[in-house]
Amino acid sequence: MHKLLAASALSLAIVLPAQANNYVIDPTHTFVIYEIGHFGTSTNRGRFDKKEGTVQFDRAARTGKVEIAFDLTAISTGVAPLDKHLQSADFFDTAKHPSAKFVGDRFVFNGDKVAEVGGTLTMLGKSLPVTLKANLFNCYMNPLVKREVCGGDFETTIKRSQWGMNWGLNMGVPDEVRLLIQVEAIKQ
Amino acid sequence: MTRLGAWAALALLLPPAAADPVVYRLDPAHSFVHFEVLHFGTSTLRGRFGVPEGLVELDRAAGRGYAWVRIDTARVDTGLPAFDARLRQPDLLASDAHPQATFVASSFSFDGDQVRAVRGEFTLRGIGQGLELRALRFGCHRHPQLQREVCGGDFEGELRRADFGASFGMPFVANRVRLVLQVEGIRQ
Repeated sequence: MHKLLAASALSLAIVLPAQANNYVIDPTHTFVIYEIGHFGTSTNRGRFDKKEGTVQFDRAARTGKVEIAFDLTAISTGVAPLDKHLQSADFFDTAKHPSAKFVGDRFVFNGDKVAEVGGTLTMLGKSLPVTLKANLFNCYMNPLVKREVCGGDFETTIKRSQWGMNWGLNMGVPDEVRLLIQVEAIKQ
Repeated sequence: MTRLGAWAALALLLPPAAADPVVYRLDPAHSFVHFEVLHFGTSTLRGRFGVPEGLVELDRAAGRGYAWVRIDTARVDTGLPAFDARLRQPDLLASDAHPQATFVASSFSFDGDQVRAVRGEFTLRGIGQGLELRALRFGCHRHPQLQREVCGGDFEGELRRADFGASFGMPFVANRVRLVLQVEGIRQ
């Protein structure tokens, strides 16, 4: 931590002004898709469509913080009865826990690109650590909004039972769920 | 195409004397075409189409297979209704003029009794182009409720949307489109 503080202080001294910039999650280019195996044959996918969040990001200081919340009642698999089942107490129990939240504050950089974001995923009222690995990361000047946009593709694999989501484990429905995350955030 | 029409189309593809042909009807609850395209070199846009109708015949002993799959282009689902509407426009999916896209394949390669790759013709916006789908996994299981064999897997392929005349938004949104298919077929 002292090393990190020292490095931050150093970058503050060299790259002035270095301050965290605020970004707002672009909901039109931010989605989470889950993947879970189906009878060892194919992969079922579903998508979370409603979300909001903010990012503070300082490339010079190599720090950041992201907070993003997903409305679990807006789950979309393309199969209406499955959407319903996923919202029931067997899975997300949205009557009691309508949203999931990720708070990430451990940004790991590779050069000036974010390589990894560690944080906490809260689901079903339980908060556990997860690390999102970047498959892609980039910042660009968006010609439509005329602002800098930063984002990328991230992924992680979680064990749903850790959050108490156990339905079907005894019938061979896998515990491991891969999360694919597209995220873009617009500089304010 | 009507259901009868689909069977007729399949029948046209079939050789007169297949050794041990088994026909599978794709299960719309476990068959989806997902697409992935890079957005501003930064993150991956994803969307999906359901598969309302698809028939596959496998003759594993003879190492042959035939497939006919239909998607309805107006049913594109990205999670953003405004984006879906934009995709249906004449310069992208052209859903009014070309409501259906089809994949017709009669070149299957096997590894033992596992399907490894399927080559055929994909028709989008009325333009047919060769497309190869490679199996990421393939398997069969006995469905506990249906009490029937279900075969399927995950397949991936790649196309260039400009080859089909759907070039709006390039190069900000990439030409290269990755297709990821979940397919499961119920033995008839």
